[in-house]
Amino acid sequence: MTFIEIRDIKRHFTLGGSIVKALDGVSLSIERGEMLALMGPSGSGKTTLMNVVGGLDQPDAGRIIIDGEDITHFDGNRLAQYRQRQVGFVFQSFNLIASMTALQNVEFPMIFAHVSPSKRKRRAEALLKAVGLGDRMDHKPTELSGGQQQRVAMARALVNRPTILLGDEPTGNLDSHTGDEILAMLQRLNEQGQTIIMVTHDPRVASYAKRTIHMLDGLIQEDQARPSEPSLMKDAAS
Amino acid sequence: MNTRDLLRLVLSNLNRMRGRAIMTAMGVVIGTAAIVVLIALASGLQRSTTESLSSIGAVNQITVFAGFRRFGPSSDSGTEPVLTPDALDKFSKLPGVEAVTPYVSVNARNITMNRLTANVSITGLDPRAIDALGLVAEQGTNRMGTFGVIVGSRTGEQFNDPRLPRRADEPPPDLYGQTLLAELQRTNDAGEQITRKVRLHVVGVLAERGGQDDTSIYMRLADAEDLTGWLQGGRVNRDREGYQQAVVVVSDPDTTLSTTTAISDMGFTAFSATSALQQINILFAVVQAVFGGIGAISLIVAAIGIANTMIMSILERTREIGLMKAVGASNRDVMSVFLTEAGAIGLLGGIGGVLFGIGAAKIIDLIAVAYISGQNAASGSTAAAPTSLVFVPTWLPIFAILFSVFIGLAAGIYPALRAVQLNPVTALKYE
Ligand SMILES: Nc1ncnc2c1ncn2[C@@H]1O[C@H](COP(=O)(O)OP(=O)(O)OP(=O)(O)O)[C@@H](O)[C@H]1O
Ligand SMILES: [Mg+2]
Repeated sequence: MTFIEIRDIKRHFTLGGSIVKALDGVSLSIERGEMLALMGPSGSGKTTLMNVVGGLDQPDAGRIIIDGEDITHFDGNRLAQYRQRQVGFVFQSFNLIASMTALQNVEFPMIFAHVSPSKRKRRAEALLKAVGLGDRMDHKPTELSGGQQQRVAMARALVNRPTILLGDEPTGNLDSHTGDEILAMLQRLNEQGQTIIMVTHDPRVASYAKRTIHMLDGLIQEDQARPSEPSLMKDAAS
Repeated sequence: MNTRDLLRLVLSNLNRMRGRAIMTAMGVVIGTAAIVVLIALASGLQRSTTESLSSIGAVNQITVFAGFRRFGPSSDSGTEPVLTPDALDKFSKLPGVEAVTPYVSVNARNITMNRLTANVSITGLDPRAIDALGLVAEQGTNRMGTFGVIVGSRTGEQFNDPRLPRRADEPPPDLYGQTLLAELQRTNDAGEQITRKVRLHVVGVLAERGGQDDTSIYMRLADAEDLTGWLQGGRVNRDREGYQQAVVVVSDPDTTLSTTTAISDMGFTAFSATSALQQINILFAVVQAVFGGIGAISLIVAAIGIANTMIMSILERTREIGLMKAVGASNRDVMSVFLTEAGAIGLLGGIGGVLFGIGAAKIIDLIAVAYISGQNAASGSTAAAPTSLVFVPTWLPIFAILFSVFIGLAAGIYPALRAVQLNPVTALKYE
């Protein structure tokens, strides 16, 4: 069974009298364990598609089925539950809470998932260690570099064990070296079976994914699968 | 999201905006303090009023007057309620009644003691009711004999020499053991003024009561009837004309009201300090409500401040709200966070307001009591200075804090709803 099934999705915005067709009939099937890059010029609808898949936004037409469950018409509560249980978001601008330490930021989503405090702490610490921030847990975001902040955000996205990890230009605010570190991490997660969709403008970043979707004007222009390139992955991992 | 996590999150959020939170809470502090001070003042006033009323010791006494003629058809057709000995007998048979006595006033022209003259009332009482009435002798006895009278603790103060007013530092005469001369006057059948002088021997002085008992002269009912008979030119037929006034004493003050009602239902005019207390309590409930309302208005102003602060903070935390939603916070979670923040500001202000209000009330109390004592000293008044003018009932701080929490929550509803309705996508894009 297809894991993520997107059927003829439309999302139109009215902006100052004119209609912007952010998504204009997008159909897409994604299997469990895929790592997919979304590319396309600015305004082509990449973020909108991510938001619909992540349950932050709902389409005007079409259907979206996750693991056999049609989430298209979920109400606010079920959608919140869907985001909590199935989705992890990584944003271009990190979106960490400035008043909280790295550890508290990572623990934050678990509060809403009713995870016990001791379990919360254990899992957050383990994840921060896994992203290489074992010695930065009590630092506030302002005391961390951009790359470190994005690693905290990664840990936060993974903390509720999401089935889908969504990254909207996760390396967009980082220099190429720090970006590569994040990408290597994503790749390792994918190797462990994590389904990942990430938006990027950078073909080099997209090359970490096995499949690249090119969007234009709210439509899928090209769906390109590529055989894995072991040499590149080895480079990134080292 | 469980309560502990909610409270932790709210505390850290408030700590983050503590300057603004404290400023907003100040509004609540002022409103709550106003409520506390005003209600404490009203309660204090109520307490001192009811205390002075009950110090008359009359909480178990009912004063009865002859009733008014009833209009229209009534069950006891035509019989006007008259305070006859029969009627008094009926009162004494009511449940819980300890004693009943007529009050017969003797109108003496004046009462003299040597050169001193007084104009005080002489009242005739049934000697059997003296103890029940709480008339206790401080000097001598409260057992009256034939024209052996008992006087109030301050009756002596009423005696003056018309030509030589008493100096301020001169003590009033001690009436105990003295003989008073009461002068009665009437016109006889021939139209001539005739005078009768009666010697009254003071056998006892009563302990101070703080009411009109303190300046009275009491004699036996039989003697009073003798004198009124003389004044009217013939013995009064009480079975027909009745007494003007009677006092009913109940053994348990809790039955005062029911007994008063029972006597009123018989057509008499019955009055007790307890019923007066009840009226005063109603009056003070109104005063408290008005005072509390004035304070409540300032709390409403504070509520607008809370709403404003919350709207500001929601605006500033738009991205954070978007993030909360993205990581799976439900609408209920978002609502709880912001409502609790607003409620916590209310609680904070409420606690501050109660402390501040009680402090202010105590200071007002100190100043007012000192002022009144000063005034009393200056005017030479011997009236006891009140020990306290303000009173904080236990329910007041509890009510004040609960009310300010309620105000906070109410003020938080609109901002919290705005947070709930934020679209997570736009919220996350918000700069
Ligand atoms: N809330 C909105 N209201 C109105 N128009 C919107 C809204 N969100 C997106 N759009 C429009 O929809 C189109 C697609 O936007 P989207 O953010 O999906 O583009 P994108 O591919 O992510 O672009 P970028 O690479 O610049 O991030 C754009 O033209 C944008 O202006
Ligand atoms: Mg975008």
